[in-house]
Amino acid sequence: MGSQTTHLPRIIAVLALLGVAIFPIYWMFVTSLTPSSELFAASPNLFPRFEQLGIYLEVFRTIPVATWLWNSFVVAAGTTVLSIVLAILPAYALSRFRFAGIAILGFALFATQMLPEAMLVVPLYAIFGQLSLLNSLFGLILANTAFVVPVITWIIKGAIDSIPLEVEEAARVDGCSRIDIVLAIVIPLITPTLAAAAVIAFFHGWNEYVFAQTLISSEALRTASVGLASFVGELSTPIHSVMTVGVIYTLPAVVFYLFAQRYVVAGMTAGSVKG
Amino acid sequence: MTKRRSASARLEGHPLTPYLFAAPVAIYLILFQFYPLVQELYLSFTFTDLLRPSDSTFVGLENYSFLIEVGELHKVLGVTAIYTICCVVFAVGLGLLAALLLDAPFVGRGVARALVTVPWAAPSVAVALVFTWMFNAQYGIFNHGLRALSLPFGTENWLDSPNLALPAILLTTVWQIFPFSSVVILAALQGVPQELREAAAIDGADRLNIFKTAVWPTIQPTVFMLVLFVTIWSLRRFDLIWLMTQGGPIGATNTMVIELYRQGFVYRDLGSAAAIGMIGLTVALIITVIYFKVTQATERAQGKR
Repeated sequence: MGSQTTHLPRIIAVLALLGVAIFPIYWMFVTSLTPSSELFAASPNLFPRFEQLGIYLEVFRTIPVATWLWNSFVVAAGTTVLSIVLAILPAYALSRFRFAGIAILGFALFATQMLPEAMLVVPLYAIFGQLSLLNSLFGLILANTAFVVPVITWIIKGAIDSIPLEVEEAARVDGCSRIDIVLAIVIPLITPTLAAAAVIAFFHGWNEYVFAQTLISSEALRTASVGLASFVGELSTPIHSVMTVGVIYTLPAVVFYLFAQRYVVAGMTAGSVKG
Repeated sequence: MTKRRSASARLEGHPLTPYLFAAPVAIYLILFQFYPLVQELYLSFTFTDLLRPSDSTFVGLENYSFLIEVGELHKVLGVTAIYTICCVVFAVGLGLLAALLLDAPFVGRGVARALVTVPWAAPSVAVALVFTWMFNAQYGIFNHGLRALSLPFGTENWLDSPNLALPAILLTTVWQIFPFSSVVILAALQGVPQELREAAAIDGADRLNIFKTAVWPTIQPTVFMLVLFVTIWSLRRFDLIWLMTQGGPIGATNTMVIELYRQGFVYRDLGSAAAIGMIGLTVALIITVIYFKVTQATERAQGKR
């Protein structure tokens, strides 16, 4: 940790990098607190006007933000639980067993990364129609999980790879079944990775737009992504109100991410560095 | 490797166990990915109206030949190629620079590492909204800045300009995805011996040399993997582009996925939409196969196997 490395150019470069990373979020916040009259002034208002903070209460009265956020939360939480439950056993199988079809499963998991949601949404719409899953948050959770499970399975497999086999052999000798081993030995050892997987799944559900836009038509079941997108190109809602909703939607994600960041990075590298 | 396999054999229980364990994901993927994909493939050989999907007529390869001859497939492919290549170059390049910058020890490094990943956590819809506002002709912050510095383009609406729309979309995309590259590369950098990294940070003269001989060989597999992922993700990116430009103006930002969505949901032509999807998927598959061939060849050349 030499202090001689703190050259001025490096400090400036780091500050510039952080400025670029943070500015659009900061700008969304500043815009939300700028009164309409000043938004269209010749020179921009660069700093937040904290006396305008009342708008953060006002939008809850004028726009159904609370409903949108709740729906997004339900979808994100449901996607998280379902994808983790689904991913653990296949991840264990990919890590520990050699069986016919393992290569196909591995390739299928990777191949899902190539499929655009915008393409599968048409057949999924038809399938969901037959299963009466349209206009249901549960249906949306099922659709999101299909895209999250492959990523999460891969990350969890990476973590299981790094557990020494000897740990499990001892339990095998004692007569534990595979399921017992996974539940009692493997899961406790990979909790940081499970936390990372949970964060990734939650984000996917919270941010997802295409399925929420297409598979849900009821106003009451709108998610925040679709609600916010409905303001694009629409002129009757003032820009500072739109940006306020944007901040309310973005901030929980960013704050949650900053808290969980350590786990996400650790979990992802466990998956990717092992290769 | 052999030791590991024999240990794994000793752990083996009932021969069906692996299949029972793999079943949940396999069934799920078949139901929600593979079966819809097969349906798309079939749709691509039919004429099907979005509003009357049950009266579809089989037309063979007509959708494909229409796209190639009459449609603007070559233009769409061109925009997609430029978009994807620029995403890879700038997102991975900037990610690498950011990772090298954040790898050296300095006061507040932990906070800086966390903050730099914020764009990746921001929802695409919110990002699209705030960037659209920032690119506004008269009141956008970009043009305020350009006018203040008396630079060109200070009065144009970036997203309405055939020349500036794609750069604007790229700027937004790269801003959103470079943190992912930087986090992954930063993790890979931890595999480089500490003394070398410190030396590289201190001694300006040898910095490039150390990077080439010690740092790059360690992180190269990770960077290659990132290139593949950023490529595949860029080929399928929808939200940002659709919300900011819907592929316009005059097709300047019309990537394959945007064209697919327009054919399906604006022109109600599910057959053509599916055909574009199949062409896009073929492109992604070809790139993936080339990628694995190249990485295998490099690994053999380096004598890793």
